[in-house]
Amino acid sequence: MLVIFEGTSQVETTVRAVLADILGLSADRVAAFTADTPLFGALPELDSMAVASVLTELEDRLGILIEDDEIDGEMLETFGALVQFAASKALV
Amino acid sequence: MTALRFDTYDWSGGREAMLRFGRDAGPIVIAALPLFAEANRTRQFLVTILRELADHGIGSVLPDLPGTGESIVVTGETRLRDQRTAYTELAQQLGRNIYGLSIRSGALFDTDAALAGRWQLSAQTGEDVLRELDRARVASRSARASDTDYAGNTLSREMLADLRHATPYAGTGPLRGARLESDPRDADVKYAASPLWRRSEPDNDTVLAQILANDVSHWIASCES
Repeated sequence: MLVIFEGTSQVETTVRAVLADILGLSADRVAAFTADTPLFGALPELDSMAVASVLTELEDRLGILIEDDEIDGEMLETFGALVQFAASKALV
Repeated sequence: MTALRFDTYDWSGGREAMLRFGRDAGPIVIAALPLFAEANRTRQFLVTILRELADHGIGSVLPDLPGTGESIVVTGETRLRDQRTAYTELAQQLGRNIYGLSIRSGALFDTDAALAGRWQLSAQTGEDVLRELDRARVASRSARASDTDYAGNTLSREMLADLRHATPYAGTGPLRGARLESDPRDADVKYAASPLWRRSEPDNDTVLAQILANDVSHWIASCES
Protein backbone atom coordinates (compact mmCIF):
# COMPACT_ATOMS: atom_id res chain seq x y z
CA MET A 1 0.00 0.00 0.00
CA LEU A 2 1.44 3.34 -1.03
CA VAL A 3 0.07 6.43 0.64
CA ILE A 4 1.26 9.80 -0.58
CA PHE A 5 0.49 12.90 1.39
CA GLU A 6 0.75 16.38 -0.01
CA GLY A 7 1.90 17.75 3.29
CA THR A 8 1.21 18.50 6.88
CA SER A 9 -2.16 20.11 6.13
CA GLN A 10 -3.54 16.77 5.01
CA VAL A 11 -2.19 15.07 8.12
CA GLU A 12 -3.74 17.86 10.19
CA THR A 13 -7.11 17.29 8.53
CA THR A 14 -6.87 13.58 9.31
CA VAL A 15 -5.92 14.20 12.96
CA ARG A 16 -8.90 16.58 13.32
CA ALA A 17 -11.27 14.02 11.79
CA VAL A 18 -9.96 11.21 14.00
CA LEU A 19 -10.38 13.29 17.19
CA ALA A 20 -13.94 14.18 16.15
CA ASP A 21 -14.83 10.57 15.31
CA ILE A 22 -13.27 8.88 18.33
CA LEU A 23 -14.16 11.44 20.99
CA GLY A 24 -17.59 12.25 19.54
CA LEU A 25 -16.75 15.98 19.26
CA SER A 26 -18.63 18.27 16.91
CA ALA A 27 -17.02 19.37 13.66
CA ASP A 28 -17.20 22.99 14.86
CA ARG A 29 -15.36 22.18 18.02
CA VAL A 30 -12.44 20.37 16.36
CA ALA A 31 -12.32 23.00 13.59
CA ALA A 32 -11.51 25.55 16.30
CA PHE A 33 -8.49 23.55 17.54
CA THR A 34 -5.20 25.42 17.10
CA ALA A 35 -1.64 24.16 17.56
CA ASP A 36 -1.77 25.31 21.20
CA THR A 37 -5.10 23.65 22.09
CA PRO A 38 -4.37 21.30 25.02
CA LEU A 39 -5.53 17.69 24.57
CA PHE A 40 -4.60 15.04 27.16
CA GLY A 41 -5.74 16.19 30.58
CA ALA A 42 -7.85 18.99 29.09
CA LEU A 43 -10.45 16.97 27.16
CA PRO A 44 -12.44 14.75 29.54
CA GLU A 45 -13.35 12.53 26.56
CA LEU A 46 -9.67 11.71 26.00
CA ASP A 47 -9.04 9.04 28.62
CA SER A 48 -6.37 6.39 28.28
CA MET A 49 -8.62 3.99 26.37
CA ALA A 50 -9.51 6.80 23.96
CA VAL A 51 -5.80 7.54 23.50
CA ALA A 52 -5.31 3.95 22.35
CA SER A 53 -8.21 4.29 19.90
CA VAL A 54 -6.99 7.64 18.54
CA LEU A 55 -3.50 6.31 17.89
CA THR A 56 -4.69 3.09 16.28
CA GLU A 57 -7.17 4.96 14.06
CA LEU A 58 -4.36 7.34 13.01
CA GLU A 59 -2.24 4.32 12.11
CA ASP A 60 -5.01 2.92 9.95
CA ARG A 61 -5.89 6.16 8.15
CA LEU A 62 -2.33 7.41 7.61
CA GLY A 63 -0.79 4.01 6.91
CA ILE A 64 1.79 4.52 9.67
CA LEU A 65 3.04 2.34 12.51
CA ILE A 66 3.44 3.81 16.00
CA GLU A 67 5.77 1.89 18.32
CA ASP A 68 4.63 1.43 21.91
CA ASP A 69 7.75 3.16 23.28
CA GLU A 70 6.93 6.27 21.22
CA ILE A 71 3.70 6.81 23.16
CA ASP A 72 4.27 9.48 25.79
CA GLY A 73 2.53 12.47 27.32
CA GLU A 74 4.31 15.03 25.15
CA MET A 75 2.85 13.85 21.84
CA LEU A 76 -0.64 14.26 23.27
CA GLU A 77 -0.08 17.49 25.14
CA THR A 78 -1.44 19.77 22.43
CA PHE A 79 -3.16 19.44 19.06
CA GLY A 80 -0.02 20.84 17.41
CA ALA A 81 2.20 18.22 19.08
CA LEU A 82 -0.05 15.38 17.90
CA VAL A 83 -0.13 16.71 14.32
CA GLN A 84 3.65 17.11 14.36
CA PHE A 85 4.13 13.57 15.63
CA ALA A 86 1.74 12.12 13.02
CA ALA A 87 3.37 14.15 10.25
CA SER A 88 6.83 12.95 11.28
CA LYS A 89 5.63 9.37 10.80
CA ALA A 90 3.58 9.95 7.64
CA LEU A 91 5.81 12.32 5.69
CA VAL A 92 8.93 10.22 5.34
CA MET B 1 -40.44 -1.06 14.20
CA THR B 2 -39.90 -4.79 14.34
CA ALA B 3 -40.11 -6.32 17.78
CA LEU B 4 -37.31 -8.56 18.93
CA ARG B 5 -37.79 -11.91 20.64
CA PHE B 6 -35.63 -13.53 23.28
CA ASP B 7 -34.55 -17.07 22.51
CA THR B 8 -31.80 -19.56 23.32
CA TYR B 9 -29.75 -22.09 21.40
CA ASP B 10 -27.87 -25.19 22.48
CA TRP B 11 -24.39 -26.12 21.41
CA SER B 12 -22.14 -28.99 22.53
CA GLY B 13 -20.69 -26.83 25.34
CA GLY B 14 -23.94 -25.50 26.80
CA ARG B 15 -26.84 -23.14 26.20
CA GLU B 16 -26.59 -19.47 25.25
CA ALA B 17 -29.10 -16.66 24.79
CA MET B 18 -29.90 -15.04 21.47
CA LEU B 19 -32.11 -12.29 20.10
CA ARG B 20 -34.35 -12.99 17.10
CA PHE B 21 -35.69 -10.46 14.62
CA GLY B 22 -38.26 -10.86 11.87
CA ARG B 23 -39.17 -14.03 10.02
CA ASP B 24 -38.02 -17.54 10.98
CA ALA B 25 -38.19 -18.81 7.38
CA GLY B 26 -36.40 -17.86 4.21
CA PRO B 27 -32.85 -16.55 4.33
CA ILE B 28 -31.72 -16.08 7.93
CA VAL B 29 -28.85 -13.86 8.99
CA ILE B 30 -26.57 -14.77 11.90
CA ALA B 31 -25.14 -11.51 13.21
CA ALA B 32 -21.81 -11.40 15.02
CA LEU B 33 -20.51 -8.56 17.18
CA PRO B 34 -16.79 -7.86 17.55
CA LEU B 35 -14.82 -9.21 20.50
CA PHE B 36 -14.27 -7.37 23.81
CA ALA B 37 -14.88 -3.61 24.24
CA GLU B 38 -15.93 -3.06 20.62
CA ALA B 39 -18.99 -5.27 21.20
CA ASN B 40 -20.40 -2.70 23.65
CA ARG B 41 -19.81 0.13 21.20
CA THR B 42 -21.54 -1.57 18.26
CA ARG B 43 -24.36 -3.60 19.82
CA GLN B 44 -27.08 -0.98 19.49
CA PHE B 45 -25.94 -0.23 15.94
CA LEU B 46 -26.05 -3.91 14.96
CA VAL B 47 -29.50 -4.32 16.50
CA THR B 48 -30.67 -1.31 14.45
CA ILE B 49 -29.37 -3.01 11.28
CA LEU B 50 -31.21 -6.24 12.19
CA ARG B 51 -34.50 -4.39 12.78
CA GLU B 52 -34.08 -2.75 9.40
CA LEU B 53 -33.36 -6.12 7.78
CA ALA B 54 -36.58 -7.48 9.29
CA ASP B 55 -38.43 -4.61 7.60
CA HIS B 56 -36.83 -5.82 4.35
CA GLY B 57 -38.32 -9.28 5.05
CA ILE B 58 -35.08 -10.89 6.22
CA GLY B 59 -35.04 -12.61 9.60
CA SER B 60 -31.97 -12.69 11.80
CA VAL B 61 -30.49 -13.91 15.07
CA LEU B 62 -27.94 -12.24 17.31
CA PRO B 63 -26.45 -15.02 19.46
CA ASP B 64 -24.40 -14.61 22.59
CA LEU B 65 -21.31 -16.69 21.88
CA PRO B 66 -19.71 -18.45 24.88
CA GLY B 67 -18.00 -15.81 27.03
CA THR B 68 -20.00 -12.88 25.61
CA GLY B 69 -23.23 -11.12 26.57
CA GLU B 70 -25.23 -13.10 29.13
CA SER B 71 -23.04 -16.21 28.82
CA ILE B 72 -22.04 -17.89 32.08
CA VAL B 73 -18.64 -18.75 30.57
CA VAL B 74 -16.19 -16.37 32.28
CA THR B 75 -13.87 -14.21 30.16
CA GLY B 76 -10.75 -15.97 31.43
CA GLU B 77 -12.04 -19.31 30.13
CA THR B 78 -13.31 -18.03 26.80
CA ARG B 79 -11.72 -19.47 23.67
CA LEU B 80 -12.20 -18.47 20.06
CA ARG B 81 -12.19 -22.19 19.24
CA ASP B 82 -15.33 -22.70 21.36
CA GLN B 83 -17.00 -19.57 20.00
CA ARG B 84 -16.44 -20.89 16.47
CA THR B 85 -17.91 -24.26 17.43
CA ALA B 86 -21.00 -22.64 18.96
CA TYR B 87 -21.48 -20.48 15.84
CA THR B 88 -21.08 -23.49 13.54
CA GLU B 89 -23.58 -25.59 15.51
CA LEU B 90 -26.10 -22.74 15.61
CA ALA B 91 -25.82 -22.35 11.83
CA GLN B 92 -26.51 -26.09 11.43
CA GLN B 93 -29.65 -25.82 13.57
CA LEU B 94 -31.01 -22.85 11.63
CA GLY B 95 -30.94 -24.83 8.39
CA ARG B 96 -30.22 -23.69 4.86
CA ASN B 97 -29.83 -20.22 3.34
CA ILE B 98 -27.94 -18.93 6.34
CA TYR B 99 -25.89 -15.77 5.85
CA GLY B 100 -23.22 -14.40 8.16
CA LEU B 101 -23.21 -10.67 8.96
CA SER B 102 -20.29 -9.46 11.02
CA ILE B 103 -18.71 -6.28 12.31
CA ARG B 104 -14.92 -6.13 12.80
CA SER B 105 -13.56 -9.20 14.64
CA GLY B 106 -17.04 -10.74 14.44
CA ALA B 107 -15.73 -12.03 11.09
CA LEU B 108 -13.50 -14.49 12.99
CA PHE B 109 -16.38 -16.67 14.27
CA ASP B 110 -17.92 -18.04 11.05
CA THR B 111 -14.87 -19.70 9.50
CA ASP B 112 -16.06 -23.29 10.07
CA ALA B 113 -19.77 -22.77 9.42
CA ALA B 114 -21.58 -23.88 6.26
CA LEU B 115 -22.99 -20.51 5.20
CA ALA B 116 -24.62 -19.40 1.95
CA GLY B 117 -22.57 -16.21 2.11
CA ARG B 118 -20.73 -13.75 4.33
CA TRP B 119 -21.16 -9.97 4.63
CA GLN B 120 -18.45 -8.24 6.64
CA LEU B 121 -18.11 -4.66 7.87
CA SER B 122 -14.48 -3.64 8.40
CA ALA B 123 -13.30 -7.20 9.05
CA GLN B 124 -10.10 -7.58 11.01
CA THR B 125 -7.68 -10.39 11.87
CA GLY B 126 -6.93 -11.83 15.28
CA GLU B 127 -3.50 -10.23 15.06
CA ASP B 128 -5.18 -6.80 14.69
CA VAL B 129 -7.26 -7.55 17.80
CA LEU B 130 -4.15 -8.49 19.79
CA ARG B 131 -2.32 -5.36 18.68
CA GLU B 132 -5.20 -3.17 19.88
CA LEU B 133 -5.34 -5.01 23.21
CA ASP B 134 -1.61 -4.37 23.65
CA ARG B 135 -2.04 -0.73 22.68
CA ALA B 136 -4.79 -0.23 25.28
CA ARG B 137 -2.51 -1.71 27.91
CA VAL B 138 0.41 0.56 26.98
CA ALA B 139 -1.79 3.67 26.82
CA SER B 140 -3.33 2.99 30.23
CA ARG B 141 0.15 2.45 31.71
CA SER B 142 -1.58 0.04 34.04
CA ALA B 143 0.57 -1.89 36.43
CA ARG B 144 0.51 -5.22 34.74
CA ALA B 145 -0.84 -7.89 37.07
CA SER B 146 0.21 -10.58 34.63
CA ASP B 147 0.92 -10.92 30.93
CA THR B 148 -2.62 -12.18 30.36
CA ASP B 149 -4.24 -9.05 31.83
CA TYR B 150 -5.52 -6.66 29.16
CA ALA B 151 -7.06 -3.38 30.31
CA GLY B 152 -9.18 -5.14 32.90
CA ASN B 153 -9.83 -8.35 30.97
CA THR B 154 -7.97 -11.47 31.94
CA LEU B 155 -7.59 -13.61 28.85
CA SER B 156 -6.32 -17.16 28.79
CA ARG B 157 -3.11 -18.07 27.00
CA GLU B 158 -5.20 -20.39 24.86
CA MET B 159 -7.45 -17.50 23.77
CA LEU B 160 -4.41 -15.37 22.94
CA ALA B 161 -2.95 -18.27 20.92
CA ASP B 162 -6.28 -18.80 19.12
CA LEU B 163 -6.34 -15.12 18.16
CA ARG B 164 -2.72 -14.97 17.04
CA HIS B 165 -3.45 -17.13 14.01
CA ALA B 166 -7.11 -16.25 13.41
CA THR B 167 -8.15 -14.74 10.10
CA PRO B 168 -11.59 -14.22 8.55
CA TYR B 169 -12.97 -16.92 6.23
CA ALA B 170 -10.94 -17.20 3.05
CA GLY B 171 -12.70 -20.09 1.28
CA THR B 172 -15.11 -20.18 -1.61
CA GLY B 173 -18.63 -18.79 -1.69
CA PRO B 174 -20.23 -15.36 -1.80
CA LEU B 175 -18.45 -12.78 0.32
CA ARG B 176 -19.03 -9.02 0.42
CA GLY B 177 -16.67 -6.77 2.32
CA ALA B 178 -17.73 -3.26 3.30
CA ARG B 179 -15.49 -0.65 4.90
CA LEU B 180 -15.62 3.02 5.82
CA GLU B 181 -14.23 5.58 3.39
CA SER B 182 -11.60 6.59 5.93
CA ASP B 183 -10.18 3.04 5.79
CA PRO B 184 -7.53 2.71 3.04
CA ARG B 185 -7.85 -1.10 2.81
CA ASP B 186 -9.57 -2.79 -0.14
CA ALA B 187 -13.32 -3.35 0.01
CA ASP B 188 -16.23 -4.22 -2.29
CA VAL B 189 -18.00 -1.08 -1.14
CA LYS B 190 -17.12 1.90 1.05
CA TYR B 191 -19.43 4.18 3.02
CA ALA B 192 -18.68 7.57 4.56
CA ALA B 193 -19.22 7.28 8.31
CA SER B 194 -17.45 7.43 11.63
CA PRO B 195 -16.07 4.20 13.20
CA LEU B 196 -18.50 3.54 16.07
CA TRP B 197 -16.30 0.70 17.37
CA ARG B 198 -13.62 3.19 18.38
CA ARG B 199 -15.92 5.75 19.99
CA SER B 200 -14.99 6.53 23.58
CA GLU B 201 -18.71 6.44 24.47
CA PRO B 202 -21.13 3.99 22.80
CA ASP B 203 -23.27 5.67 20.12
CA ASN B 204 -25.50 4.71 17.22
CA ASP B 205 -25.72 5.68 13.55
CA THR B 206 -29.25 5.00 12.33
CA VAL B 207 -28.59 6.48 8.89
CA LEU B 208 -25.64 4.15 8.27
CA ALA B 209 -27.66 1.23 9.71
CA GLN B 210 -30.37 1.83 7.10
CA ILE B 211 -27.83 2.06 4.29
CA LEU B 212 -26.07 -1.13 5.37
CA ALA B 213 -29.35 -3.05 5.82
CA ASN B 214 -30.24 -2.02 2.28
CA ASP B 215 -26.86 -3.23 1.03
CA VAL B 216 -27.16 -6.56 2.88
CA SER B 217 -30.71 -7.15 1.68
CA HIS B 218 -29.85 -6.48 -1.97
CA TRP B 219 -26.77 -8.65 -1.72
CA ILE B 220 -28.74 -11.56 -0.19
CA ALA B 221 -31.37 -11.19 -2.92
CA SER B 222 -28.64 -11.45 -5.57
CA CYS B 223 -27.17 -14.52 -3.84
CA GLU B 224 -30.60 -16.18 -3.70
CA SER B 225 -31.53 -15.51 -7.31
